[in-house]
Amino acid sequence: MNPDLIDQYFNAECAAALAPLVTLAGGLLLLIVAEWFEPINRLRPLLFVGSILGAAWAEVALLNTPVPAVLGGTYSADKASAMWGLVFLASTLIAWVHARSYYRKSRPFLGEHDMLLLAAPMGMMMMAGALDLTVFFIGLELLSIPLYCLASFRRDRSESVEAGLKYFVLGAFSVGLFLYGVALVYAATGTLSLTALSEAAAAGFSPMAHVGMAFILGSLLFKLSIWPFHLWVPDVYQGAPTPVTILMATGTKAAALAFTLRITGLLPESSAGLIALLAVLTMAAGNLGALVQSNLKRLLAYSGVAHAGTLLLLVAAQRASGDLSYEATSAALFYMAAYVATAGGAFGLLAWLEADGEHFTQIESLKGLGRRRPGMAAAMTLFLLSLGGIPATGGFLAKWMVFSVTLDAHLTGYAIAGVLMSIIALAYYLRVIVAMYMEPASDHVAPPTAKRTDALVATAICAAAVLLMGILPNVFLGLI
Amino acid sequence: MHNLTLLTFLPALGALIVALLPNRDERVLRGITLFVTSVVAVLGVSLFCAFDGSQSALQFTQSVDWFTLGKTNVHYEMGVDGISILLLTLTAILMPFVALSSLGHITERTREFLVWLLLMETGMLGVFASADLVLFYFFWEVSLVPLYFILGIWGGERRLYATVKFFLFTLAGSLLMLLAVIALVSQAAADGVLSTNIAGLTDWASTTPLEAQFWLFAGFAIAFAIKVPLFPFHTWLADAHTQAPTSGSVILAGVLLKMGTYGLLRFGIGMFPAAAINAAPLFMILGAFGIVYGALLAMAQTDMKRLIACSSVSHLGYVVLGMFALTHAGLRGSVLQMINHGLSTSLLFLLFGALYERRHSRAISQYGGVAAVMPLFAFFWVFAVLSSVGLPGLNGFVGEWLILIGTFQRSPVLATFAVTGVIFGAVYLLSATRRLLFGEITHDETRSLKDLNTREVAIVAPLCALCLWIGVQPGVLIEKTSGSLDALVQRVEDTRQGMVVGNLVDPQTEEDVR
Repeated sequence: MNPDLIDQYFNAECAAALAPLVTLAGGLLLLIVAEWFEPINRLRPLLFVGSILGAAWAEVALLNTPVPAVLGGTYSADKASAMWGLVFLASTLIAWVHARSYYRKSRPFLGEHDMLLLAAPMGMMMMAGALDLTVFFIGLELLSIPLYCLASFRRDRSESVEAGLKYFVLGAFSVGLFLYGVALVYAATGTLSLTALSEAAAAGFSPMAHVGMAFILGSLLFKLSIWPFHLWVPDVYQGAPTPVTILMATGTKAAALAFTLRITGLLPESSAGLIALLAVLTMAAGNLGALVQSNLKRLLAYSGVAHAGTLLLLVAAQRASGDLSYEATSAALFYMAAYVATAGGAFGLLAWLEADGEHFTQIESLKGLGRRRPGMAAAMTLFLLSLGGIPATGGFLAKWMVFSVTLDAHLTGYAIAGVLMSIIALAYYLRVIVAMYMEPASDHVAPPTAKRTDALVATAICAAAVLLMGILPNVFLGLI
Repeated sequence: MHNLTLLTFLPALGALIVALLPNRDERVLRGITLFVTSVVAVLGVSLFCAFDGSQSALQFTQSVDWFTLGKTNVHYEMGVDGISILLLTLTAILMPFVALSSLGHITERTREFLVWLLLMETGMLGVFASADLVLFYFFWEVSLVPLYFILGIWGGERRLYATVKFFLFTLAGSLLMLLAVIALVSQAAADGVLSTNIAGLTDWASTTPLEAQFWLFAGFAIAFAIKVPLFPFHTWLADAHTQAPTSGSVILAGVLLKMGTYGLLRFGIGMFPAAAINAAPLFMILGAFGIVYGALLAMAQTDMKRLIACSSVSHLGYVVLGMFALTHAGLRGSVLQMINHGLSTSLLFLLFGALYERRHSRAISQYGGVAAVMPLFAFFWVFAVLSSVGLPGLNGFVGEWLILIGTFQRSPVLATFAVTGVIFGAVYLLSATRRLLFGEITHDETRSLKDLNTREVAIVAPLCALCLWIGVQPGVLIEKTSGSLDALVQRVEDTRQGMVVGNLVDPQTEEDVR
């Protein structure tokens, strides 16, 4: 092999940039080995958490010494990617902790579960750091394939299998869209590198390249659950095991958003209005859909759609005004960090309730939760208020930053529409709070005695993070 | 630690203690709440006494770096001027009485109630004490949540409807204000004002051209008009008041509505004087209309709490009318009327609450001849009613008088129209009083009613004394506000001069006002 090439690819910079991925991959391999040896198998949780923390440590190191481009300019470990990496790892860890309680009774293939779950953040990191459409594609598949399996992981429940299948079929469709778009772009420009593509875009794309970009954007909107590509969300979120839903709702969305923000420069400038319109329509679809739900998991799924719409405003703002790229990225990061803690906490509570056998996915059955399990109800209230963007929670500042960027990009009408939508959102979040605190319990259920220390710790950390981001946001804003 | 911070967060600390205390004895929890609110009241009064009314600058200020949004620095900044010190003190004084009155009607989930009550106090005090726009917005929305729970859990039979209506109405306003706040902050940042300090933003905003001010003013004004509530945004008030438990009604009437009028004064007029001058005729008309409309609504009510709620719409019409007259007298009267309405309406709610606890009916027709069995109640009730209708010698008179003078200077027609509200006010409150207290005892249950007990007298007597004191000595309060209000009038007049010179204003509008 050419020694120059080796130097070019395997230097210290490259090692630092890839350290998070390599750590996760190493952990994944060790998990596979651990399956063979019963004595080591007990250490599996340690291995999992260790890999996540190791990867997080590597990401923090990258925050201080970012690497803009490695591997021949196909992968970037800049500050934003490192922050995104931390968001993904947090989302995975929350999902994993709740999965431990969730599967305690049924224990199906916990080893496989952990392996698949550990592969997901690798895929997300590659998506967020990709500077090349091929790298993004590999990341997308590395994320999606484990998720297909995880979504149908509860084979004893037909809804779970249905969710997995739905997610697979629609995911395959969106991947198909993506590849078709890539083919068109390549045919038109002869390159897959984002750097080269942005030069080509500056010189003027051919119509074929524009069509290709439209396909690529479409597939990203699928992952982001944007109207009209959002219809799979409620079914899949509801059917999938709740811990997996956590990952899909937070991590996947963040990864797709990170890459979308990276490629806005390749879209025509006139698309800003269209994207903003899609954002508002998504908010409308999500909020109006959530308004009529009686199932809390579905309600949160629709609310996730609405949040995706809010996030898309950032994409539109970044497209409308090229100067706002830093502001849009930091707003997106803060929003997603808050959303991981908030939605992760809320879905986590649902997983906890389900694990306790309360079948608590109906809003109806939450009645009287405020008296039965006051701590849980208080945490749920906090998460819902944060989703609604009430101050002193992370959700408020997240909303502030998004609307601030939107107004700076002179998308005033869309910002007003978005604000009006969040009134509808509060209406259904309040409905849940009303059920928990203000309506009498239909039948008295004794609180289960089983202690779930891990779920409790995860919920407490999420709640603390939500409050911290709301009251002392500089802790997070300083990082960005 | 600074006085204002201590004052604001002491109740939150109390809430934490009440929430986490392992002791399950309700009396201990109530005792802690009463103690904390009383300490806050004492602190509030001492701040009031130490406040120098001749100055217009903020006093007792404190500023700490908080966080950075883009290029803008947000500070944790506290400080009060002559307007906010009055409302701050009113809040601090009212809360121990609210806590004491809750003993009568909050019988279940007491611990939760006390936690919300204390958090509510922190939110309200914070609104009046914050000197940073973002901090203000924080407190503004945070104060919404506790009241939501107080109304929703301990309210009357249709509480859920009223609660959600209240929350969504005010939230709609808050979110419009949020957009205005964000737009204001980002435009100011583009102009080089990189702080969300209210004084700094005011200096910047009040000199921007009229077109720029218009939309920002509209965003703020709608939010505050909903909170006041100004006609036509008043419909949430009657439901919320009626369904709220007594303590909730008192908080709503006594303090929460003042947050709206305070905001109009501080942000609407203070920050956007040019837009406010242009919008003044509209607001004066809405205010005057609200006075009469609220009074007419009140006349038609058969439910006592609804009647008091409608009277609030009427009384707050005066506040808005006097405020947008933009004269020395009008503004002074308006601020004074905020305090007066807070005291006398709270009194009415507290007294009727005591009656409601005995009979559990809000219908006026259920009563009659109460004075014969409850003489103490009758005395205090009549006192509160007279203070509310503005009998000379009691507090209500001074505020209304100043407002009418201020309005007359600007527009005799509107002043004449508004004066009819005084008559209507006397009509509905006195006739309700007659039906409530006097005449034959029509229901047997009334005969066995017990008069006010020591606790209830201890709640209402000090407030009545305060009403009398303000009625006799209004100068003390007016003096405290004079520095701030003079500065405000000065700013408005300067803007008016600039507008006339620059022909920014349509002369026709000026004519209309006169």
